[in-house]
Amino acid sequence: MAREVISSGNDLAAMAAVDSGCMFFGGYPITPSSEVMHTISDLLPKVGGACIQMEDEIGGICAAIGASMSGVRAMTATSGPGMSLKAENLGLAQMAEVPLVVVDVMRGGPSTGLPTRVSQGDVAQAKNPSHGDYKSITVCAGNLEECYTETVRAFNLADRFMQPVIVLLDETIGHMHGKAILPDVEEVKAGIKPRKTFDGPAEEYRPYGVAQDEPAVLNPMFKGYRYHFTGLHHDAMGFPTEEIETCRKLIDRLFRKVDEHRDELEYNEEYMLDDADILLVGYGSASLAIKEAIHRLREEGIKAGMFRPITIWPSPEERLYELGQKFDKILSVELNQGQYLEEIQRAMGRKDIQKLTKTNGRPFSPQDIIDKVKEVF
Amino acid sequence: MSRIVMRFTGVGGQGVLLAGEIFAAAKIKMGGYGVKTATYTSQVRGGPTVVDIQLDDKEIYYPYAIDGQIDFMLSVADKSYQLFKDGVAEGGIIVIDPNLVYPTDEDRKKWRIVEIPIITIAKEEVGNVITQSVVALAIANTFMNAIPEDVLIETMLSKVPKKVHEANLKAYELGKKYALEAMKKQGIEPRKND
Repeated sequence: MAREVISSGNDLAAMAAVDSGCMFFGGYPITPSSEVMHTISDLLPKVGGACIQMEDEIGGICAAIGASMSGVRAMTATSGPGMSLKAENLGLAQMAEVPLVVVDVMRGGPSTGLPTRVSQGDVAQAKNPSHGDYKSITVCAGNLEECYTETVRAFNLADRFMQPVIVLLDETIGHMHGKAILPDVEEVKAGIKPRKTFDGPAEEYRPYGVAQDEPAVLNPMFKGYRYHFTGLHHDAMGFPTEEIETCRKLIDRLFRKVDEHRDELEYNEEYMLDDADILLVGYGSASLAIKEAIHRLREEGIKAGMFRPITIWPSPEERLYELGQKFDKILSVELNQGQYLEEIQRAMGRKDIQKLTKTNGRPFSPQDIIDKVKEVF
Repeated sequence: MSRIVMRFTGVGGQGVLLAGEIFAAAKIKMGGYGVKTATYTSQVRGGPTVVDIQLDDKEIYYPYAIDGQIDFMLSVADKSYQLFKDGVAEGGIIVIDPNLVYPTDEDRKKWRIVEIPIITIAKEEVGNVITQSVVALAIANTFMNAIPEDVLIETMLSKVPKKVHEANLKAYELGKKYALEAMKKQGIEPRKND
């Protein structure tokens, strides 16, 4: 069953979190993400949860990591400047394998950039926000519905893979207000897949002693299952170690737990691709202008279609490769200088991908895309 | 119904966002599609603000109004008017508060400019300046015939606190009255929507 909701992208992300069983939000308001915190601060206390405005962005993510270690689902939300501040602790959550949902409503950057303007400039950052080696999971909502459904999915992925999952929104999607057809709350609740726990004898508990393609099993703290928590390289109990093979295996596992289960992560939209001659690749709010442009181009007899990755990290590299073989004319459309274009080129093994970019804080208009298609093809 | 595209402009803090949300919600309630987007600057108050509203029976993909396709604009601040007027289609209707917006003679040739003292009506006749967004809502709907009045009023009342229902109903009636007078004076018919 579905329900119709009239809302904005940021509010929908907050609603989705609470419907997904999120019980804690730690954050610090920042345009254009503030409504996520505003709305969840209203919703969480009603379900027995808590929202805390911390002293800064760093405090926000640290509080959320702590809440998650107690066993509850936790979230923080921010925009690009906040992502930069949270970067160190995103690395900690990757290393210690703490599930967490981080909503990043993108605005113009770098630095404080264009606070109230749209951008997709955090796409490259989302792949590697922190130093060191790990495998990011990042999803990107392309319409109002997905602000809800992708947040729901992010919570399940975070608990499945035991790591932060970034939900990328942007100013356009976060602030636009309209109709969204959403799954019923009961359906969302029935779909919640809680993180694994270890139920055996406490003395046999080895949180990080798991198969090489599996995430850690972190029981809630203070429930009788003791382990050590650190950002240092660690052994099966979580204690720091520099033992050569343990260190190698740890980072290898952080990659393989994601890479070997890509089928559980990949999620794309293919829009009017079947009979298309021109392939447009875009994601997030840029896809709204792309869809409108496709309809108008087709009215003129130009058959364009769109491929839209929804899980953007890890990228759908095999599907991109296939599409690169199938289509001659390919145009990448993104509100940055070509951050995902590099990934498309890599996955397709091609350098002749056309690009349409914009970094002045303004959205693409459908006409921008129509003009570019006519210019380059 | 063919797509209706409206733009409300003002400065941050004037509350132009609300009218857009009411229009979109009312259209969605009727089974159609409505999208509101707002663009503003990083100034908390005083920066130019623009709200685009699109209403259609068919799905709307792109959420912003496309320049040159705007049927109706309402403006209560000159700097926003100057910035955003060019999005209005030639011959389109622009309602301005004449105490705050100063169109050029050229503007008056290009568009059908209607002067209604929106802020003064809200401040002095309704007695609460915040109701200007509902005065604007009524004016826009009277010109554009976008939403049946009962549905629009019901939606509006659901979005404002109960204690100001009466003031907002009064604001709606006044907005409609002034719009009808202006239309009669300038020979403008309400938009015909099939």
